Amino acid sequence: MADALPDLQQYVGGDFGPFLAWDEVNAAMIRHWCEAMGDACPLYTDTAAAAAAGFEQLAAPPTMLMAWTMPGYGGQRPPGSASGDHALGVLAIIEAAGYPGVVAVNCEQEYFQYLQVGDRVYFRSSCEAISDEKTTALGVGFFVTELATFYNQRDEVVGTQRFRVFKYRPQPRQAST
Amino acid sequence: MSGPEFSQLQVGDTLPDLAIDITAKLIVGGAIASRDFQDVHHDKAAAQALGSPDIFMNILTSNGLVGRYISDWAGAEARLNKVTIKLGVPNFPGDCMTFSGSIAAIEPATGVVDVEIVGANSIGNHVTGTVQVTLPVF
Repeated sequence: MADALPDLQQYVGGDFGPFLAWDEVNAAMIRHWCEAMGDACPLYTDTAAAAAAGFEQLAAPPTMLMAWTMPGYGGQRPPGSASGDHALGVLAIIEAAGYPGVVAVNCEQEYFQYLQVGDRVYFRSSCEAISDEKTTALGVGFFVTELATFYNQRDEVVGTQRFRVFKYRPQPRQAST
Repeated sequence: MSGPEFSQLQVGDTLPDLAIDITAKLIVGGAIASRDFQDVHHDKAAAQALGSPDIFMNILTSNGLVGRYISDWAGAEARLNKVTIKLGVPNFPGDCMTFSGSIAAIEPATGVVDVEIVGANSIGNHVTGTVQVTLPVF
């Protein structure tokens, strides 16, 4: 039995965090990423090339921004992180009301400096928008937009990310009786 | 890994296409490299329970591939400023996604270039968006 759906607009806004990274920016995770993506940019794997470009350490692909702070396999955030959910915690509330599916639809990342090996990343987030109930080819549900701001160990803003997901109830294959 | 010569670029110029085979290995490898353990990116049965025919690529991998497409073209001296993408149809195993791109705007004084990109597979556009990159100005 699904929970009743509350007024979702009450979950817009907020300031959640900090949410820390399990690991400092490191060469192994960068290499794993570059292998999977097929990214051969030498700034990411060749210390001499990174140094020639003015970096003190290997640079990380900027598109890894979010990867550093993912909870990972265990689904837990590292000690020192804020307890509870970040701005997308509202997804659990929507899910409990009978919308199990989730799919990412938009991602907008802006980078103010490249992360380098040794940097420690954290982010804070707010919920920027929740749509009315919409019907798409996937099903019926809600678009939820999170704005995450990423910082380094010097509390400098290194980047931002707007992330929009569709939290939905899949279209039934056949109406049940 | 040298990039294009900035002074020669014009709005409307196209980037070389890049075709990427969409394998289960890439989908799972990309999901794990981005530390995304959502089951729909590695567990076919879980994906099917949500109405999908198979596992599908996560957005962080799509974003990473867009970054790679641009850095392949722009070279090691370029810097990514902004990646804005919208996802369309999923990337399923067995498909092939081909990136194409064209220059939408150029700021001669700063070297800032906006590139519009499309990553299309056999069922439609998987990803569309704009990447803003700064190229060295000689």
